[in-house]
Amino acid sequence: MILQVNPLEGFFFGSGKAMVAAGVIIIIILGLAIWMFRMESRMNRLNQRLDMENPGPSDSDKS
Amino acid sequence: MIHRSWKIIGLALLVYVAAMSFIVPLGPGLIDFQRVTTTERLDASPEQDAPFYELIGIGTHWNALNEEQSGQLKCILKHESQLAELPVVSITDDQHAIVKVDLPDTLPSKSWDVFVIHPIDGTLLLENGLFLEDQTIEENYSWTNPSIEQLESTLTFHFPFQPRIFESIRNLMWHVPMWFTMFVLMGIGFVASIKQLSAQNKTFQFDDQALASVQTGIFFGALGLLTGSLWARYTWGAWWVDDPQLNGALITVMVYAGYLVLRASVQNRRQRAQLSAVYNLFAFTILVILLMVLPRFTESLHPGKGGNPGFNTYDLDSTLRWVFYPAVLGWILWGVWMYRLRLQFNRLDEKLKRILH
Repeated sequence: MILQVNPLEGFFFGSGKAMVAAGVIIIIILGLAIWMFRMESRMNRLNQRLDMENPGPSDSDKS
Repeated sequence: MIHRSWKIIGLALLVYVAAMSFIVPLGPGLIDFQRVTTTERLDASPEQDAPFYELIGIGTHWNALNEEQSGQLKCILKHESQLAELPVVSITDDQHAIVKVDLPDTLPSKSWDVFVIHPIDGTLLLENGLFLEDQTIEENYSWTNPSIEQLESTLTFHFPFQPRIFESIRNLMWHVPMWFTMFVLMGIGFVASIKQLSAQNKTFQFDDQALASVQTGIFFGALGLLTGSLWARYTWGAWWVDDPQLNGALITVMVYAGYLVLRASVQNRRQRAQLSAVYNLFAFTILVILLMVLPRFTESLHPGKGGNPGFNTYDLDSTLRWVFYPAVLGWILWGVWMYRLRLQFNRLDEKLKRILH
């Protein structure tokens, strides 16, 4: 599937290192995404809790 | 579910881009066309007095054909519409071939592009690959025009070979989308600032949106500068060059940094919202001028000089588009997601401050 057209790529792909590099990047991206999803839901929960315990006008509308 | 689906799409696109960036190989190309002496050529006949040149390719397959096909490696000189085919004397190996350059004394140009046409590698170009010093130049001189059939490569999916850029062409999927994402985020901030001014301080929700978008946009701008500087070091040989496109990008990021400084210096929220909204309108105008308009009128080292400041047909071919466009869309979706998180965080921070004080 993967064509090795020059010596550098012959080494990079042939040794399997390209897949390792791609795997590391994908793991980092997926890890960041999971972190962002969790952070988003936690902030939502915290926001709802604050609203319940301290009812009042929203901050954006308050001058 | 819908509010999560666009984030998942953005994530899937970035995973696809990351995988493709690393597993798609680079296509073949020409790296040199240099004169050789007869002593360097073991097969040279002493009576041949025309100069010989060595074609040097990278990732090419010139020796891979069988005997019937071996004559299919063609070397063509090109200047504007004038073409001349040069005889290929011998093929040393997959990356080296000897070409006889037997030219008339009078020619229309000193500088010629070199094309190589091969059934496997397709048509390869080395711009200004041949520079002649001994010939008489007459611009109106008309030379032979053999008809050539340009071939498409029969290789599997690969990234295009670009002189000087080589393997670093993969950076395209990481560097350029930073600027697209920054532009979209600053655009969101621009619209939010207009809405804030229209609301006449009855609400500050648009001010919050403008702040979050600029904060996230600056982050992407900084990433764009860092990745661009690193790429420049290994392509142009310097971390930074005095170039309108590069300087414009830096000034734009500095202008937006000024937006944050301005906000921090005004304590009254009403004044802060109004002042920063006006500033943001000017900042976005400067961004458009420095990144979109000015580079079209100036010469630049950056790709697409003297025309489109981003890309043209030489910089972005059809194979790159399969990865580049998903990269742009993926990064924009990711950037918008980060902007929404930042907005949420800022509002929560304000709320907590209000409760605690």
